[in-house]
Amino acid sequence: MATTQSPSPPNSNDDKPQADSEVVHEANQVQQDVGAEAAKHSVPASVFVNSEPMREDQVSNAVKFLSHPKVRGSPVIYRRSFLERKGLTKEEIDEAFRRVPDPTPSSQPASLNQDGQEKSSSNVQTQAPIQTPQPVAVAPAGIASSVTVARRQFHWNHAVSAVGLLAASGCGTALLIKKVIIPKLKLWVRKVVLEEENDYAKKIDAKPSLVEEAAAAAKAAAAAASDVAKASQEMLNSKNEERRRFEEFMNLMDVQMQEMKSMSNSIRKLEGQANSSGRAFSDHDDHRVSSSSTKQSYANGKVDVNVQPGRSSTPPASAEPPHPKSYMEIMEMIQRGEKPSNIREVNDMPPNPNQQLSNPRIAPRTKPWEAQNGSRHQVLQSQTSAEGLNQNGRDNGLNYLLDDESSTPWWQRKNVRITEIENEDEVKATGPFGVRTNEQPPPLVQRTWVPPQPPPVAMLEAGEAIWRPKSAPKETATQEQSADDQSAAHPSEVTDELQRITKMSESAGAVEMNGGFSTGSSAVKQEQENSYGEN
Amino acid sequence: MPVFKTPFNGYSVRFSPFYESRLAVATAQNFGILGNGRVHVIDLAPTGPVINELIAFDTADGVYDVAWSESHDSVLVAAIADGSIKVYDTALPPQSNPVRSLKEHAREVHGLDYNPTRRDSFLSASWDDSVKLWTLDRPVSLRTFREHAYCVYSVAWNPKHADVFASASGDCTVRIWDVREPGSTMVIPGHEHEILSCDWNKYDECLIATASVDKSIKIWDVRNYRVPVSVLNGHGYAVKKVKFSPHRRNLLVSCSYDMTVCLWDFMVEDALVGRHDHHTEFAVGVDLSVLVDGLMASTGWDELVYVWQQGMDPRAS
Repeated sequence: MATTQSPSPPNSNDDKPQADSEVVHEANQVQQDVGAEAAKHSVPASVFVNSEPMREDQVSNAVKFLSHPKVRGSPVIYRRSFLERKGLTKEEIDEAFRRVPDPTPSSQPASLNQDGQEKSSSNVQTQAPIQTPQPVAVAPAGIASSVTVARRQFHWNHAVSAVGLLAASGCGTALLIKKVIIPKLKLWVRKVVLEEENDYAKKIDAKPSLVEEAAAAAKAAAAAASDVAKASQEMLNSKNEERRRFEEFMNLMDVQMQEMKSMSNSIRKLEGQANSSGRAFSDHDDHRVSSSSTKQSYANGKVDVNVQPGRSSTPPASAEPPHPKSYMEIMEMIQRGEKPSNIREVNDMPPNPNQQLSNPRIAPRTKPWEAQNGSRHQVLQSQTSAEGLNQNGRDNGLNYLLDDESSTPWWQRKNVRITEIENEDEVKATGPFGVRTNEQPPPLVQRTWVPPQPPPVAMLEAGEAIWRPKSAPKETATQEQSADDQSAAHPSEVTDELQRITKMSESAGAVEMNGGFSTGSSAVKQEQENSYGEN
Repeated sequence: MPVFKTPFNGYSVRFSPFYESRLAVATAQNFGILGNGRVHVIDLAPTGPVINELIAFDTADGVYDVAWSESHDSVLVAAIADGSIKVYDTALPPQSNPVRSLKEHAREVHGLDYNPTRRDSFLSASWDDSVKLWTLDRPVSLRTFREHAYCVYSVAWNPKHADVFASASGDCTVRIWDVREPGSTMVIPGHEHEILSCDWNKYDECLIATASVDKSIKIWDVRNYRVPVSVLNGHGYAVKKVKFSPHRRNLLVSCSYDMTVCLWDFMVEDALVGRHDHHTEFAVGVDLSVLVDGLMASTGWDELVYVWQQGMDPRAS
């Protein structure tokens, strides 16, 4: 099991990210610690581990993704799953999570919300003579705080309260303005009128001046009115702007919400069976049921598969495979709440939960790939009692074989190789099963349950030549892997005759073998030496 | 070629690692939506194209998968849709069965795999997003692996490294785990859609095949998992199960919702080397015999189990 292809030794998968990442948080991460420890304990040459260094661009993209407010509101498992599907490794994802400033989403927005509410309420309730700019200033502050509240945490509650705040503050300011400006206007108009009268009384003859004054007053009034109009217009505009901004923001949030929804929907698109959340009539997890909203997404005109309280086993991808008609009928039945009539009450609980399993009658057989690779996990390993080694059970299919020695069972007859599919017709013509004589002996297939004899020495030597170069590193690897396990004892203590004979026949080889084995547990070596002693 | 008719819709078929002529079939009523289930243990008659049922076990809920024990020749485990795992022993009288009911998963158990190297433990993949490790002698699971964000459909032990396994999930990733590690050691974002099945190459322990709802099968080398070694296209709908041949290095078989069973050689340019469309409904289960080179079986929602030799037509009689 060579790892020559990996660019860097896998043990450094924890070192490299530390070297590469700009932020040095590593020691704090529990997961990395565990990973480091595990890496030290595990085989240094394990290929089943990521050995890539962390990619900074991926991590920064992930940080941006995680900082998004919409993402903040989603459960952590979905954020991780999304990043994993984008191809980030575990280390990169952990690093991104570490980098994102993560205020606890629950407490802060609540307090901010409270502040905003207090501000706006004080805004509305104050009856003291408040100057015009102040409510205007407070209202935007209230709006701003409500807006930041909405940014922090994305709940409809906050959105609604923000809109309410906006409206309330707008009304409040309008009211106040009316209250303030109208008296001012009145006062002012009265003043002007009084002045007018005085002037009129004084300067009856000074008509042109009166007229001028009146004109001037009118102009001033008009100017004042226009100022007031402008001010109120500005107020309105700013309010509208706020409102617009807010609406835009809401739209953005909606869009992102849609995107997140579609992402989650595409995750569970049409696998169907998970959408359906288990048994027919029980309640479900929210995230499963939500996918039932993808009702309309199937081009096929058949009944929607997704909307089911029962279980659907069909995962169409882009196009839905045509379901059997009765499948549709059953789905409809379940949707209507009916139970199919053919279901019986079955008690499938074990009558005796402590029932002992019967003793195995046959020893486990070598796997074909193990035989070829000469793995140590070979046959003759009977972990349980070996009493039934050659004993044929009453109920197995071997009776057939023993009775019928002359003809091989039909399933053992191989006629064509993979590449000769075209000859199928010829093959069919030759007999009921289309049997042709077997061209190559099936590897290690036996028809009786005699344990395989150790091969002759000559074959062993040849096998050794092929087997040993591969097996030495492999065996050290497997040795080390199983070093911690108790089962390491098993293959070695039941070291099969093959290996014993091998060692006996090749003393030079034996040294190497021992050398190979000794890198593993010393117990193995001792047992082998014991077996030598036996021999 | 013999055919076996099951009363319920087929879900999975597995050859016994001890008896060349024996298979187990997992079936569920009403397509597995709602209803009972049944586990069949069937034998191939050597003389003629006949399949005989040895024994059948009824279950309260559908059976999604079945796996033979590698240590006891008569023991098999079944994945039940109510979240439990039933252990059966065919050597005991029928009324003693099931021998165990292991109930820990919160949702349907969809996949099972027995450890072929260590032979003492097995894994269960469930729609509750977790994978559990069990042994036959303990009533509780040894480990729970919970990292997937969605249903885990399939789990497969590495044929060479007794502690390594892979899990395929609806969150579109395949995770490689080592039972000695607390979490997954590798995450392969293999497809853009759900991954329904995964299997290791028996002759190259670094190669893994994944079958997805996107109708493709991808072969990955875990040493360089960013780019697949090979992409096998050809199925018309989602690929439900993929299995590497125990006898040939480059051969794999797959079954799909397009009702076909396909054979592939992923090392050649034109990878599709065989195609059988014998099923009339979704083909959901396929297996290759470890003991007999070329012997394969498939089952589908059409309630039929076919067993045939590679190169032959499963419907030939």
